[in-house]
Amino acid sequence: MAHKSDPKRPAEIYEPYEEQAGVPLPVIWIAIALAFWGVLMLYDTGDSVRVSLNDRAEDSEALANVTPDEGASLFEANCATCHQPDGEGLRDAVPPLAGSEVVAAGPGIIARILLRGIDGPLTVADATYDGHMPSFASALSDAEIARLASYVTTRWANGPDGAASSADDVTDLRGEVADLGSFAGGMELARLIPSLPPQPPMPAPSAAPRDDADVLQLVFAGRDEVWSCASCHGDLGQGDETTPRLAGLPAAYITKQLHDFREGTRVNESMHLVASGLTKGEMTALGTYFATLRVPSNAGAVLSGDLARGEELALQGDWSIGVPACFTCHGASGFGVAPGFPGLAAQHAPYTAAQLANWAGGERHNDPLGLMAEISGALSTQDRRAVADYLATRPPVPAVAATMTRMETDDDQ
Amino acid sequence: MNRYLPLSILALAILAFATLMLVIAPGIQINARPAPEGLRPYTEAEARGREVYVSLGCLYCHSQQPRSGDQAPDGERGWGRPSVAEDYAYDQPHQLGTMRTGPDLLNVSARLPSEGWHLTHLYQPRAIFDWSIMPSYPYLFDHKDTAGPGDVVVALPAAHAPADGVIVASQKALDLTAYLVALDRTYPAPTNGLRDHGYGSSEGPEPTPAEEAR
Ligand code: HEC
Ligand code: HEC
Ligand code: HEC
Ligand code: HEC
Repeated sequence: MAHKSDPKRPAEIYEPYEEQAGVPLPVIWIAIALAFWGVLMLYDTGDSVRVSLNDRAEDSEALANVTPDEGASLFEANCATCHQPDGEGLRDAVPPLAGSEVVAAGPGIIARILLRGIDGPLTVADATYDGHMPSFASALSDAEIARLASYVTTRWANGPDGAASSADDVTDLRGEVADLGSFAGGMELARLIPSLPPQPPMPAPSAAPRDDADVLQLVFAGRDEVWSCASCHGDLGQGDETTPRLAGLPAAYITKQLHDFREGTRVNESMHLVASGLTKGEMTALGTYFATLRVPSNAGAVLSGDLARGEELALQGDWSIGVPACFTCHGASGFGVAPGFPGLAAQHAPYTAAQLANWAGGERHNDPLGLMAEISGALSTQDRRAVADYLATRPPVPAVAATMTRMETDDDQ
Repeated sequence: MNRYLPLSILALAILAFATLMLVIAPGIQINARPAPEGLRPYTEAEARGREVYVSLGCLYCHSQQPRSGDQAPDGERGWGRPSVAEDYAYDQPHQLGTMRTGPDLLNVSARLPSEGWHLTHLYQPRAIFDWSIMPSYPYLFDHKDTAGPGDVVVALPAAHAPADGVIVASQKALDLTAYLVALDRTYPAPTNGLRDHGYGSSEGPEPTPAEEAR
């Protein structure tokens, strides 16, 4: 303040200074505008936060399956494709539920069947079947299995109102049967249900290519120049994320893909290296090997897709965008139809969605007649997520008996 | 300049406020969270591998933070669910990264669990992807005439294999691979897991230019 003390004599070193002055108006305006903009941005992201929180809430609900559907809609969505909406089954392929001695045995047995599945010949309602009833253990919650079991007994067993099984019963059952695998046909069921008619014998297990040392070497040890299949696809061909599940895909389909990877008509750098070293015979043997593997599902809905929309696309398709039901080609419940149509059930959602995107974008183009390119192109990103998530929640493809795959691959050559 | 004291107090107060809100409060919030059930601490080899990862600067090209489906198609890329703060419970310091020159690696082992694949890829990425711009790390490997007992031989296609002898992995390469194979956080996220929620929309991410063109 020295320069102020003597107003007549300017200070040696004059230092300019400013009197107290108000903030200029434009600065105030800019400050107000900035504050306004800040509030607007907060409001804007508030919307995104709501979307995201909703998504997460839905996801955790889907995980916990808090609200099981009614029995009728569960049946429609999970069983009707094979057992038919009226429960009459398909002649020579799928046994009826109406008039079945198995269903008459009550909800406890049905819950066991839903948890384990059935493999092997079975006689019900005077006819013999030799198909594969999938296990729904990974696809349905305890509450849903209890509802279905009660629904099926009340609707088709003319007996007493089948003491409805509860979710807790199913939880106990799940622990009990966890390691048992599928029922070995009617023979094993008859041990639980004395009232069953005489059951056909189980065929002796045929020597699967699992014993083939060369194939096992490729699957578990690989070669000098390339990695083993199991190191990426898992010990049982279960896969994860964008590495596909191979267990239970049709043998001829697997062989074709290996061939396509080698020729470069299907592009994936790692698989190209793997397939380049394989002979034709090895490809066929590997196809048979993976087709006969059976492994529980480790896939789930991870893309926040709309499961109801996914179910619609898979079961009915959407003609407004020209998409037929996926299951018309890929088989009931997405289990695949040998030799050309791969199973989609329990496939990992990121893999399925990525393949659909690849077809839509033209990166994958090895499908006969461009069937999948057209379908994928019609699906929006959200649709692709929805159907991929839905398919991932389905029970896994039941393995075809080794003898049958042998026949298919032989036909193929 | 005539009121130093109030001016400096105000400046320090603003700084302290920002530190409180941006550093201390989130720190308390994050540290209060337990590690998720599905996450286990790193083993010794994995922890050593993590140090190799840090020292080689993998962070400069690889993020470790998959985003949610309404922000980016990370799920379809196989990069895993959006991460939450709890997923990094054992990562000090975290390797979040910001650059995505290569894929996100937080869940690389879910889609690529193959130890052999990682060794080949680290030795020479172009042995697999001829277009890759990832550096090769040959100094993590030894060229030997024959593999000794316990040596891990790297699988290499003929074009990249040495004319004679074999390439074997050094301890560093094995540690780094152990770390990569441990990178799998695809267990279900805790329902109240902490994560960012901004910038998404219910329509999902913007279509990519390739999608737009269709
Ligand atoms: C992919 C087709 C398929 C689907 C989907 C399916 N089943 Fe089956 N189911 C079969 C086949 C095939 C058999 C006979 C198995 C055999 O021959 O070993 C069978 C057998 C049965 C049996 C015992 C035989 C009988 O007819 O009483 C019951 C009970 C049954 N299924 C209930 C269900 C229920 C409930 C659902 C829905 C959750 C369902 N199935 C879904 C194919 C299917
Ligand atoms: C480096 C990891 C890796 C190894 C090793 C590997 N695969 Fe693959 N495989 C993949 C990936 C990733 C895909 C998905 C390719 C794509 O996205 O198109 C795939 C796809 C496939 C497909 C196509 C599946 C489908 O549903 O269309 C078949 C078949 C297959 N692999 C078989 C094999 C066999 C057999 C071996 C062993 C000889 C093997 N793979 C080894 C990573 C691997
Ligand atoms: C007109 C018949 C047809 C219809 C309808 C159809 N697909 Fe396909 N799909 C095929 C054929 C054929 C292939 C095998 C292509 C090949 O050989 O590479 C295939 C393959 C696939 C694959 C690749 C599987 C794998 O393991 O790589 C996916 C994923 C797929 N389809 C999804 C779908 C979805 C989702 C729908 C319904 C929206 C659908 N498909 C409807 C014929 C069809
Ligand atoms: C200059 C950038 C760069 C650096 C540094 C880098 N990468 Fe990469 N990385 C890439 C690119 C680009 C790809 C994709 C092409 C490929 O797989 O080679 C990739 C791919 C990968 C993949 C395969 C991921 C997948 O999903 O296919 C792994 C694993 C990986 N990098 C690990 C590492 C590790 C470990 C380090 C540090 C030692 C590292 N990277 C350093 C650029 C980089």
